[in-house]
Amino acid sequence: MFTDIIQQAVNGLMLGSVVALPALGLTLIFSVLGSINFSVAAQMTAGAYAGWMVNTYLGWPLVPCLIAAFVIAAGIGVAGDRIALAPLRKKASASTPLMVAVVSIALNLALENVFRFSFGNGLNSYNFEIARDIRIGDIRLGPQQFRNMVIALVITAGLAAFFNFTRIGKAMRGVADNPDLARLKGISPANLSTMATAIGMGLAGIGGALLAIDTSVDPLTGSRLLLVIFAAAVVGGLGSLGGAVAGALLVGLASELSLLAIPPVYQSGIAFVAIMLVLTVRPSGLFSAKTRV
Amino acid sequence: MDKFRRQFLAVSGLGLAAFGLPKVLLAQSQSPIRFGMVVPLTGATSQFGATMGRAAQLAAQEINAGGGILGRPIEVLLEDDQSNPEAAVRAARKLIDVDKVVAIGGSYASSVTSAIAPLCWQNKVVLATSSGADSITQLPHQGYIFRTSPTTTLQGTRLAEYAVELKCKSVFFMGPQTPFAQSYIDNITRIVSAAGAKMGGLIYEDKKANYRSEVDQALRAKPDMIILGGYVPDTAVVLKDLYRAGYDGRAMGLSFGVNQKLLEALTGGVGDGTYSLVPSASVDSLAYKRLIEKMKVPSLDTYSCQLYDHVNLFALAVAHAKGDASGTAIRDNIRKISQDKAGVIVDNATDGMKLLAEGKECNYDGASGPCEFAANGDVEGVFFRYEQIQKGKLVTVKVA
Repeated sequence: MFTDIIQQAVNGLMLGSVVALPALGLTLIFSVLGSINFSVAAQMTAGAYAGWMVNTYLGWPLVPCLIAAFVIAAGIGVAGDRIALAPLRKKASASTPLMVAVVSIALNLALENVFRFSFGNGLNSYNFEIARDIRIGDIRLGPQQFRNMVIALVITAGLAAFFNFTRIGKAMRGVADNPDLARLKGISPANLSTMATAIGMGLAGIGGALLAIDTSVDPLTGSRLLLVIFAAAVVGGLGSLGGAVAGALLVGLASELSLLAIPPVYQSGIAFVAIMLVLTVRPSGLFSAKTRV
Repeated sequence: MDKFRRQFLAVSGLGLAAFGLPKVLLAQSQSPIRFGMVVPLTGATSQFGATMGRAAQLAAQEINAGGGILGRPIEVLLEDDQSNPEAAVRAARKLIDVDKVVAIGGSYASSVTSAIAPLCWQNKVVLATSSGADSITQLPHQGYIFRTSPTTTLQGTRLAEYAVELKCKSVFFMGPQTPFAQSYIDNITRIVSAAGAKMGGLIYEDKKANYRSEVDQALRAKPDMIILGGYVPDTAVVLKDLYRAGYDGRAMGLSFGVNQKLLEALTGGVGDGTYSLVPSASVDSLAYKRLIEKMKVPSLDTYSCQLYDHVNLFALAVAHAKGDASGTAIRDNIRKISQDKAGVIVDNATDGMKLLAEGKECNYDGASGPCEFAANGDVEGVFFRYEQIQKGKLVTVKVA
């Protein structure tokens, strides 16, 4: 029983680390732009396809695939934001964040169908060997999934450094805190929000590519996980980057550990329960900081 | 005032044109007979959606090229069910209420078929389905449902019998929550237990990034045969996770989960040795050979073959009813053109209609099989092709 708990916990961390990067992206965009962009799911898929093309057509290894995933997802993310969401944000009203969120769902669907049209409905696989699990005692550990976890944590640390130590990172935090004051100081919110979208969606793209290396790519690769990603971001408080990663790992842990008690088929309910609990107990999220980002 | 006059003229001109157009068209040909096809073009079960649609359209083209049904052209209308029962109901409603179709074919996921079946029989529209769930033909459908796919009971029975034949000692079922998952478990349990083997099973959630914990749970039962009950996307992930976990026993699935599409999602020997049971498209039949030639594909899944047959069956039934294009006429005539022992065997509707015109009977044997139906609408006389993934290719092991 004890090994089972440890094993499920390890599985949960691995599941959570897949969700961590897109949750990071969602949180970053929310904290700078003030609205949820659900098209992260489609950007994950975009990244997955971009990496897959680099890998299968050019035969390049992991790192170029991830870079391609980042660039393509960032590009499509910014384009989608400019075309569909930015015009809505210009007419600021109380309902703007909600409208942006709803339109971003539509954007997500539109992109999903663009992928379907371009690549078909079939599943595509990366040309990477699937590594057998490493056994540590009775515990199985997937090297590739472990690698995903490390990559997610490294990127989080990198982002944290970016926001704390670089001028532009500080400027972004400034915009998030007080757009008007930032404007007075000569910081352009429009440029910074573009940058936040690019980084956030790029991260989602990397997350999608890592996920697809583990599984496979089809038009729904990202959308399948949208609920879990959203749950992770909410649990993390939608305001802190570390919170997003912690939230992702927590949701992953909760959903895998729950298998010890409930049938696997009810697993997706865990994400809902997590959102519900957090919103009742701590509406600002478990890891919400005083200032955003 | 002048502006108003111009507008009025423009609008009334358009109106007149709109009145005039259909009359011109009608003069050229009779109104087409419409068949609807509800197919999964998007969503979790969409791997075959595109080819299913093409096969149905191809059947329509063949029939129209051969002169239609007694001179009337047919039209096949495709609607996307989005792999989602609720969207399927909307699609079926549109086909029945707006397009006035007399029969609907396709209908692949069992959840989708269960949702649209009542709409069909209440509106006296025939529903030909490629779904497997037993429950579908147990509905009070008054004969309006025809199923061209083998039932889940039959599929489960064949899976279990094959596991027994392979001398498996411990069988474990893994599949997502579907209307047929429990039926698989029950049927397989019945047969493997009678043969003295152990049986276990779990039903999982089909939108996961990995199935490590589910695989752990399965491996605790120390199975030497894992039966995969999922569609392509989740089956691909389960097979990869079984490989990662070092599972060295056998695995077996059905053709909606283990097929050419799945192979594209697997690399490096993952899934090698996995068996697949394919409700056999009659690979030797002329209809099948003609269909893959026209579709320009090396092989075709049984479901697309079934849609090709749906259109042909509908058309022949209307022809047998002397051109009475109604759901009830199709219901009452399908068996007369598909399983008349005295009928001449044909593999396409046009040949069948020629025979009917000469006052003879025909017996349609299609691309998916002999297309013969029991009283409750279930297909009979289905062969299965037993395939195995060997070195990344599907190889036929036997047909039975």
